[in-house]
Amino acid sequence: MNVIGYALGVIGAGIGIGLAAFGATTSMARQPEVQGRLFTIFILASAFVEALALIGFVVVLMQ
Amino acid sequence: MDALSKLPDEMSELIDSFMAHAVIGDTTVGLTQYIFWMGVAIVLLLVVLLVFKKKQSESLVPQGFFVNAVEYVVEFVRDDVCKGLLGDTWRVHFPFLAALFFFILFNNLVGIIPGCHPGTGTMGVTAALALCSFVYFVFYGCKRKGVGGYVKSLAPSGVAFPINILVAIIEVFSTFLRPITLAIRLFCNMFAGHIVMGTFAILASLFFEPLLQGVTASAAASAGVSVFWVLLLIIIYLVEILVAVIQAYVFTLLSAVYVQLVEQEE
Repeated sequence: MNVIGYALGVIGAGIGIGLAAFGATTSMARQPEVQGRLFTIFILASAFVEALALIGFVVVLMQ
Repeated sequence: MDALSKLPDEMSELIDSFMAHAVIGDTTVGLTQYIFWMGVAIVLLLVVLLVFKKKQSESLVPQGFFVNAVEYVVEFVRDDVCKGLLGDTWRVHFPFLAALFFFILFNNLVGIIPGCHPGTGTMGVTAALALCSFVYFVFYGCKRKGVGGYVKSLAPSGVAFPINILVAIIEVFSTFLRPITLAIRLFCNMFAGHIVMGTFAILASLFFEPLLQGVTASAAASAGVSVFWVLLLIIIYLVEILVAVIQAYVFTLLSAVYVQLVEQEE
């Protein structure tokens, strides 16, 4: 039951990281010269989204 | 699979080893293993910074790999976090933000070494750090606008009466939510990352065990699977090094954003 709940939570984080990667790749294709700066922002955004999935993971383990 | 049936016991033992255990005294008054490794990280940080200071003062031009590496990190915090976000007042806030960055970075990096624990892998340390950040930005908000002015600046002006109170409540709520999210984000990243690494290490050893008891075809196949777990462990380890740096950066960046929010003019 815990695992199912965690999996449901991960759907949201998956969509979030997917959207971030979509935006990053689209803008990199449009403007290759901002690639370095965009990559940092992309990593940062995925760190924010990833934190939500990890909170779910820890809550499942802790209870 | 015989190996997988042992996993739940090993997992509960692993999680238990990640809970705070007292090394000296008990958990209320005493030294847990996390605080011990935090002390190690602080000593390491002091040694690195003192050696850097001594080597840097030897010549005006930075010489050698070590001095250049530390200067690169310091300049990264200065240019990317402070100057980029805070504008003219970066000089005031640089010491605090750099201290936060280096403290979290060294704690995370010490935790990466096998056998060590990250000081930031326990809720107490991250909550204390987040509380420091919270007190810091509230203090600078009060210093800049006055206590009354800071409280008034939480509620936006120019909004009609009933909505006004609702927005103010939401703003106060989100202000008090900031340190909580800061603490939980850092703690969960370090804790979950180490649990995942530990799980893969346990899986690798469980799948390798049959080969030690006797060489058979099924034992050899199981050991082959264990190589796959070790490969995954190495990948997760590399990701964890990246996460250690990113989380230190994220914590510092968000603290800088909060300071910038209270400092900006209405």
